[in-house]
Amino acid sequence: MTPPAAAQPSVGGSVAQYKAELRKAKRRNERDHEIDFLNITAMLDMMTIILVFLLKNMASSSASIPQSKDLTLPAAFLQTEPHEEGVAVIVTKSQILVGDNPQPVVQHWSRESVAQSGLDAIYKKSGINDLHIVPLAESLLHVREIDNRIRNERKSGSGTSEAIVIVDETTPYRLLIEVLYTLGASSFGKYHLMVLSTKKSADG
Amino acid sequence: MAKSSLSASQRSKIRRLATPKEQSPEDEGGELNIIPFLDIIVNILIFVLATVAITFTATIETTPPSSGGKGPRIISESKSLNLTVLITNDGISFKAAGGSVAPGCEGIGPGITIPAIGADPDGQPVLDYDAVTRCAKRLKDQSPDFKDETQIRITASNNISYRKLIGTIDAVRGSEPNKTDLFPDVLFAVPR
Repeated sequence: MTPPAAAQPSVGGSVAQYKAELRKAKRRNERDHEIDFLNITAMLDMMTIILVFLLKNMASSSASIPQSKDLTLPAAFLQTEPHEEGVAVIVTKSQILVGDNPQPVVQHWSRESVAQSGLDAIYKKSGINDLHIVPLAESLLHVREIDNRIRNERKSGSGTSEAIVIVDETTPYRLLIEVLYTLGASSFGKYHLMVLSTKKSADG
Repeated sequence: MAKSSLSASQRSKIRRLATPKEQSPEDEGGELNIIPFLDIIVNILIFVLATVAITFTATIETTPPSSGGKGPRIISESKSLNLTVLITNDGISFKAAGGSVAPGCEGIGPGITIPAIGADPDGQPVLDYDAVTRCAKRLKDQSPDFKDETQIRITASNNISYRKLIGTIDAVRGSEPNKTDLFPDVLFAVPR
């Protein structure tokens, strides 16, 4: 094959000279190998994994307990690891929630009346002096069945269930006892009262 | 000279062929530009880390409340203190197996063992937790038989807030923060 006509030395140097000059010119003009593109895909992968891990970890940890005007945990000196296995029973200033169910089992009570004689008689089995909260017990019954099934699957025995009790700091003792009593009557034999861990001394 | 022997067209051709080729926009299109996406991810990461309020929690272990002296209290073979704490609006009363502890934590007698030192704006009593700790320690140190006793029964008036209850549990747990040398095992009792 003959080279293209343009590459042919028309008048001047020979083909050898022309090729030698071309090679020299190419060498002269050849730029150093520059890193003009940084491959950040690996770093992006890492960042995404960290982000997903952080979000997932925070969502499942006890630090995700929503602290609001309706639910403020009391502070205690304890520095132990919080127990994380058990059914969460949340008592806020205005409602009682069980597990992941966003529907409250009891809501809208007056603190003054609760501080005197507990929840209204309509929530009780046998009058206002009773400690057994019927809607809470019904909700716990369902949770207890699920917990029993899990225990049977794990072959960890079908003993009493455990509850993580998350209570607002202004909750009267009477309501706390009613909740704990109902838990006890619903075969929940061990409670973990959740508090904020602090190093500062509590004031009176 | 060899160079001068080349013709103008040859030199022109050499210049053209030796000039490095610039990448056309179509060539760059094969690589996905993820830098803006990376910027977003980094910003979200920083935002999440900066805004999440990290709260450290702990749990106090307990069992169902008991009433009328019944409950899961461990019966000790030896002489036991059987300490009960009652939180009221007037203060904290201690009751041991021998009877109620008198005011000032001195001997047996009626009255509030640790009187409240005031009242909060919400009507809750201001309790002297240091005095509670001192009294619990004093009662426990009275006899070597009480050394292994770790359980305490706590009860309160209906209106006493959970915060006061936790404060009292803290006070009777140990003689110093993070210590559990007094009564770390809490049992709740139903108020009569």
